Formats: sequence, C-alpha cells, structure tokens
Amino acid sequence: MKIVSTILLCCIISTYAQAQGLDKLFDSTTATHTRVRDTYKSTRIVQGQSTEMLRKHELDFRVAHRFGDVGGEFGGSKTFFGTDNSTDIRIAFEYGISDNLMVGISRSKGGGDLQQLYEGLIKYRFLQQTTDDHVPVSLAVFGNAVISGMTSGTDKTAASHFEDGSDRLMYVTQALVSRKFANRLSLTLAPTYVHRNHVAYMDVNNLFALGAAARLKLSKRLGLLAEYYYPFRSQESKDYFKATKGITFYNPLGLGLEIETGGHVFSITFTNSTSILENQFIPETTTSWLQGQFRWGFNISRRFTLFGKKDWKK
Amino acid sequence: MKYWLLFMTAWLAVSTADAQELYSCKNTRLSFFSSSPLEDIEAKTDKGASAINTKTKDIFFKVPINSFQFKKKLMQEHFNENYLESDKYPFAEFKGKINDSPEFSKNGTYPVTVTGTLNIHGIDKTYTAKGTISTQGSTITVNSTFNVRVADHGIKIPSLVVQNVAEVVAVTVNGIYTPYSK
Repeated sequence: MKIVSTILLCCIISTYAQAQGLDKLFDSTTATHTRVRDTYKSTRIVQGQSTEMLRKHELDFRVAHRFGDVGGEFGGSKTFFGTDNSTDIRIAFEYGISDNLMVGISRSKGGGDLQQLYEGLIKYRFLQQTTDDHVPVSLAVFGNAVISGMTSGTDKTAASHFEDGSDRLMYVTQALVSRKFANRLSLTLAPTYVHRNHVAYMDVNNLFALGAAARLKLSKRLGLLAEYYYPFRSQESKDYFKATKGITFYNPLGLGLEIETGGHVFSITFTNSTSILENQFIPETTTSWLQGQFRWGFNISRRFTLFGKKDWKK
Repeated sequence: MKYWLLFMTAWLAVSTADAQELYSCKNTRLSFFSSSPLEDIEAKTDKGASAINTKTKDIFFKVPINSFQFKKKLMQEHFNENYLESDKYPFAEFKGKINDSPEFSKNGTYPVTVTGTLNIHGIDKTYTAKGTISTQGSTITVNSTFNVRVADHGIKIPSLVVQNVAEVVAVTVNGIYTPYSK
C-alpha cells in the first residue's frame, strides 16, 4: 500500500513538473526600471520647454510662427483674423549630443522690445521618470543666451538703446519637473529666471516666473496642451507702465493641439503672447486674451537621425 | 524508511531527467524586417528568452518588446508607443510544439516545422513555421524565419505612413541552447 502511494506521489510530482511548462522558467527574468516615454511628443510644450529630449545624434529642424491678433483693433476680417501679420517667426536647428543633453541655435524675428534675435540653447535631463515610480518625476534644466542684431535706438529710456554690445544680451535659466500620470495626463512645473541686460526705464532686469503646463493625450498621435506662466513682476514696475504708457502686463497663457505624424510633430497653438522665446514672452507679454489679442500659430518639428547606420551596427 | 529512500530515489530520477530534457537560451536573437516602397525598417534584439523540452518537444520564446533596437531612435519610440504599446503589452510570447522528431541525442541538422501560438500586442494567433534544429554535443541551435501580418495582431498602420511600413514583416529567430540549470 505504501509503495503504491509513494509511486503515485512520484507520478504526481513528475506530472506537475511537466505541466509547469517552459514559460515558467523565465518568470523572474525582467525586473528593471522601465523609463516613461512620451511625456510630451516634442521638446516644446506650447511655447516653453518640456522634459523631452532629442535622442543621441538626432537633428531637429524647427519652425515656429505666431500670427497677428485674432480680434481687437488689429484683428478681424481685414487681416483675416491675424493671418496677414506675423508677430514672431523662429527657425532653429537643435541637436542631441546624448540622450540627455541637447544643444541648439536659432534665429527669430523677436516679438518684444528687441528684434533680430540669435539664440544658443542647452538642455540637460538629470532624471527620467520610471514606470515603477523608482524615479517619480523627470527633471531637466534649460538655459539659453540671446543676442539682438538690431540697430540701436536713439531713445535712451527704451530697451532697444544699446550703450555697448552687452546690452543686446538676454538669458533664461529654467528647471523643468514633469510627471506623466496613468499614460494620459502629463504635468509640468517650470520655475524660470529671466535676465535681460538692458531694459526700458522702470522695467526689471531680473524676473522670476513660475510656469505650469499640461498635456492630455487624446489618442496615440493627438494631444491637447495648455501652458501658463506667472511672472513675479514688481508692483512698482507694473504701476509705472500702466500710469505713464498705458501698458498692462498679462500672464502668458497658451493652448495647443499636438499632432504627431511619423517624423514630424505639428503643434497648432493659441497664445496671447506675441513672441516665441522665453526671454520675451515671459517678461514682455502685454496682450490680453480677453481683448481678442490672442493669435494662432504653429510649431513644426522635423527630426532626422544622423549617423544612424554607424551607431546601429555597434 | 525504506520507502522514503525509494521515494527520494524516484524523485531524484524524475528531476534529473527533467533537467536533461530542458534546454534554454537566455540571449535568443530576434530581428524583424519590414520592406516597403519608401523605407526598409529593421530592428533586432538579443534579449529573448527561450527553452526547449526535448522529450515533450515543447518550445517557448519570450521577448521584451522594448528591447528591440532600431536604427532610428524616434522610430523605436513610435514602435513602443504607437504600434506595439509596450507599456500595456511588454512581451511577445510563443508557445509551440515541434511537429517532427529530430534526434536531439545525435549530432546533425534537422529541418523541422513548429506549430504554436504567438502572442504579440496582446493578440494570439496560431502559426506553423519552418526552421532548422542542429545539435552539436550538448548544445542545440534553432533558426527560423517566418512572416507576421501586423494586422493579425491588431496593429494599425495609419494611412499617412502606409508607404513606410510593410503589412507583412519577416521575423528571424536564432537561439543557441544549453542544458537548463537554475
């Protein structure tokens, strides 16, 4: 009896070992931290930077355009809702040195006090969010330097009057913290510091601003964007501009639709700010959504892979 | 006590027999190739895990989708994000049986067919694929190439890139197996 039961037991164990199957052999093999991809589709959100980076050896050719006011004094049907005008245009080449470091150069028209702007930029990503929350957020820093090529003005109280070359310079330093929630919603906080070497009388050289942005993924290739910056401009400066020039500063608010089509990312934007660069749209937005002074625009990004063959064969 | 001894011997016999029947390969190479009018796309990985049971002739493959490497990193991102959705479906798996009876104990190369279920993008489909099995001493080599129609696995190609991505991609598998040990 005991022999029978022992044999039976052996059979059970042996069938168990068989039925256990080959797929169980590798159950414990993959336990790495997977990085969260596509917090945004592009390195920009609406106007400002995102925590997305170019990959190593990728070249990004970018064109951005902002049209004139949709409504108000300069909008309406006579300018076809601003389409006849352009407040700012930017053309840029940006390049990924590594998966976490990118640099770029650009030329833009300039939609604020200064025009004819040449920009050099750098962005570095320290952290990338992982799916298991080992790293809960993505963290990047962005910086740029912008020089204006315009002719110096004669009005000594204006921003566009240059005593020497350094008056033409503007800088932005920005930290970007992003998190993607449940694969649909991405949020970003962006504390930003803008420094302009030369500004108009009673304007501020140094300005701190806090940016907040979000993306709601509508489908695999479509996302809704919103972005808001709150600049901490001194009340004294605000009052002076209001009293002497009738200028009110507004906080830049941008909305957009992000469409990815293979190698292109196309964003349609609606913004109250006239300019594209952080150096200008954060401190120099004097146009209001409520008075029809918003405009449509677009960002086009086309990414090329350089040295693809060489890197891949390694 | 005697029976315990008998039991232990029997159990040992069963488990050792199992170990010898099991062959595994933890760096199985997989690649796929899509050829279309505008673009040839190729991706490869060596992170596949695979095992063969020479007695039951079961064969198994499992590969992490996000381990596939592309020439263009942007393409790799789109592959994971838009097409294979590797967050939702992190692995492709194949569970099948070898239809023929290759002599695993004898050195040689045997043409075989394998029938089984391939799960990609969360969708199962039955395939019968041709391949070869070679044995050399205690190693077994498996090679196979078969076609996968992407639509069969619920992967949609938008009309915008229909010229760039083929409807049918050729998948190549290559694994060198050694006796399984924990």
